[in-house]
Amino acid sequence: MASKITFSIGGVHPADNKIARGRAIEVLPLPKTVYVSMAQHLGAPAKPLVAAGDSVRTGQVIAEPGGFISAFVHSPVTGTVKSIAPRKDLAGNLVTHIEIAVADEEVWAEGIDLTPGLVTELPSDVPAMLERIKANGVVGLGGATFPTHVKLNPGPNAHPECLILNGAECEPFLTSDFRIMVERPKEIVVGAAIMQKILGGCKCVIGIEENKPEAIEAMGKAVAELGYQGISVQPLKKRYPQGGEKQLIDAVMHRQVKSGALPISVGAVVQNVATSLAVYEAVQKNRPLITNTLTVTGDCLPVEKQHNYLFRIGVPLSFIAEYAGGIPEGAAKLVSGGPMMGRAIANIDACTVKGSSSILYLSEALTKRKPESNCIRCGKCADACPMGLEPFLLNRLYKAGDLGQLEDNAAQDCIECGCCLYSCPANIPLLDNIRQAKGQVMGVIRARAAAAKAAAEAAKNQ
Amino acid sequence: MTSTVIWTIVILTVLGLLLALILFWVARKFKVEEDPRIDEVEKVMPGANCGGCGFAGCRAFADAAVKAPNLDAQYCPVGGNDVMKKVAAILGLEVKEKAPQVAVVRCNGSCENRPRTNVYDGVASCRVKAALYSGDTGCAFGCLGCGDCVSACQFGAISMDPATGLPVVDEEKCTACGACAKACPKHIIELRNKGPRGMRVYVSCVNKDKGPAARKACAAACIGCGICVKTCTHDAIVLEDNVAYIDYGKCRLCRECEAMCPTGAIHGVNFPKELDKDAVKARIAERQKKAREAAAAAEPVAVKPAAEPLKKEENNG
Repeated sequence: MASKITFSIGGVHPADNKIARGRAIEVLPLPKTVYVSMAQHLGAPAKPLVAAGDSVRTGQVIAEPGGFISAFVHSPVTGTVKSIAPRKDLAGNLVTHIEIAVADEEVWAEGIDLTPGLVTELPSDVPAMLERIKANGVVGLGGATFPTHVKLNPGPNAHPECLILNGAECEPFLTSDFRIMVERPKEIVVGAAIMQKILGGCKCVIGIEENKPEAIEAMGKAVAELGYQGISVQPLKKRYPQGGEKQLIDAVMHRQVKSGALPISVGAVVQNVATSLAVYEAVQKNRPLITNTLTVTGDCLPVEKQHNYLFRIGVPLSFIAEYAGGIPEGAAKLVSGGPMMGRAIANIDACTVKGSSSILYLSEALTKRKPESNCIRCGKCADACPMGLEPFLLNRLYKAGDLGQLEDNAAQDCIECGCCLYSCPANIPLLDNIRQAKGQVMGVIRARAAAAKAAAEAAKNQ
Repeated sequence: MTSTVIWTIVILTVLGLLLALILFWVARKFKVEEDPRIDEVEKVMPGANCGGCGFAGCRAFADAAVKAPNLDAQYCPVGGNDVMKKVAAILGLEVKEKAPQVAVVRCNGSCENRPRTNVYDGVASCRVKAALYSGDTGCAFGCLGCGDCVSACQFGAISMDPATGLPVVDEEKCTACGACAKACPKHIIELRNKGPRGMRVYVSCVNKDKGPAARKACAAACIGCGICVKTCTHDAIVLEDNVAYIDYGKCRLCRECEAMCPTGAIHGVNFPKELDKDAVKARIAERQKKAREAAAAAEPVAVKPAAEPLKKEENNG
């Protein structure tokens, strides 16, 4: 086994709590109604292509991209469209959803390969592969849900040197990526080979944290068996946020991405292992992204009640919670995503989206905020920040409202990982304030860029 | 000894004169001409530097006012018409009187009306809360209750009412600078004309949900039923995105809408008498009956052209 590597600065070591790691992926049954969100990817919301009363098949396109950075959305079930209306998402905000009543019998749309066999032979036509990834609505499943076809097509001036497959899964509790790496390693490796080919044959490193030895072994075996060129498995040290895009690039390539630049500027493309699986299914099987894996876990849930589910997109979280045995007693907070970066579930009737990765039941002991006290200048937050920022300073600048100084001190580079908040002995809500500051600074930067663009155009027209 | 003293005095005197000459030359060469009226205008300003006028502070306002050809774009909400008259007198310009305004909180979501659906224990800031989620009630539009408006107010005019969990504006202290309206991430605070003797009628809700959803989230929400629009004889109410809005420029304070509102989302404040809803409703019913009879008597076609010009007016306004 290759030696373990990690990123160079900051990071914290929360208990990994991967309680559901031994639970094999089960297929979640379908509810009577699903609600498919039109905003389940980064960028512009998708535009519905169906109307109320239409009957749809599983895998049929029901919405088209609403812009360059956007994605197709497919029907996760066979049934009848009942309505297209705003509905509350996880955070309680209104988002357009397509409501589909599920029919008894499932009929898949035409052209989708449903045979179980592994297809290892790669197609030769790169644009056709990209087109399939786009047409099947594949987005990054590591959390940001950035449309994959955009990321895999960095333009003629870019020189991708390394495709990094992110199997770090550094968030505590989550085990969905671990399960797919153990159960479907070959598909993931074929997906990686496809992306490698699209990027022009660069090398590919699959990074997996050391607390998942079964995954490292399974992936290593799959790589050796399939024999694609230039793919290797790299064990990583257990350290949060190992799975952060910039941290992973630092660990694997020893390169730092400049402030405001994209990973491709240092020759890196980072994709999650779940995305790789989706790419495999899209390209080799022509299957749209309508399923994903989700962990039902938490510290107040006995292990026999924890599950990893293969769910269809659009299934209400309340249905999953009920199917898994109801909300346990002692659950003080429900979280979707990991405990470090996930969002609290304000509305349990919200529906799963492409990027849903978990339902966490956390006890009060883990989630209750402790009273804030004064900063004692210990500097733990600055030590913990993996981006090399000074959270205590940014917090003070935010309170003073000094946007210029915030920008000079790179508030916009915050990756919102929460290491500062996690390490603060005074329980100062550093992350909450810095996130606000980041939003305001980004607003200023965008306004400046827009003004510069307008000025350039005006000069051109004269 | 004496020669040292003399030399010192001579050198320092010469040096002093030399530097004075340089300063004199610099002062003449780089003199910035500044209109003396800027200082005069600044003196009559309230000096709160609140930014309610849209300028960086009172001096920036004075500077802009002196340079401007007229005072149409300048208005000091804190000083009001009195200060603006003084400014106009200094500058020899005319100023139009503006109706005094006041900040109005458009949310009815007290603890009673709007049951809490979850508990928020994050940072006590509306801005942070709004960035995280829609709020701890079923209503995604209403007051978040963390008091960003209270901390934004420089005049101590807003306080949180612990009983309702909503901000309350002290009309005596409010200067309508608009800082609270800017601080509110949900945009529920609006500057409205104070009205004669403080009397005004407004829709105290901004919920854009459809009727049943709005009602479920809050007992006193505007459900967008449009009864107020139909009732209003002054064409002052518009219904947009399932929420009614009363144009304070057109409202004649008849309070008919307030009487007819099924949820009590329309508030009338500072009226000397309490509203007798039944009497007003009877009056409206009587009037509508008469109108129906008149319409039945006249040709039905005659109704249409009367409705169309009204619509056009709305668009123009």
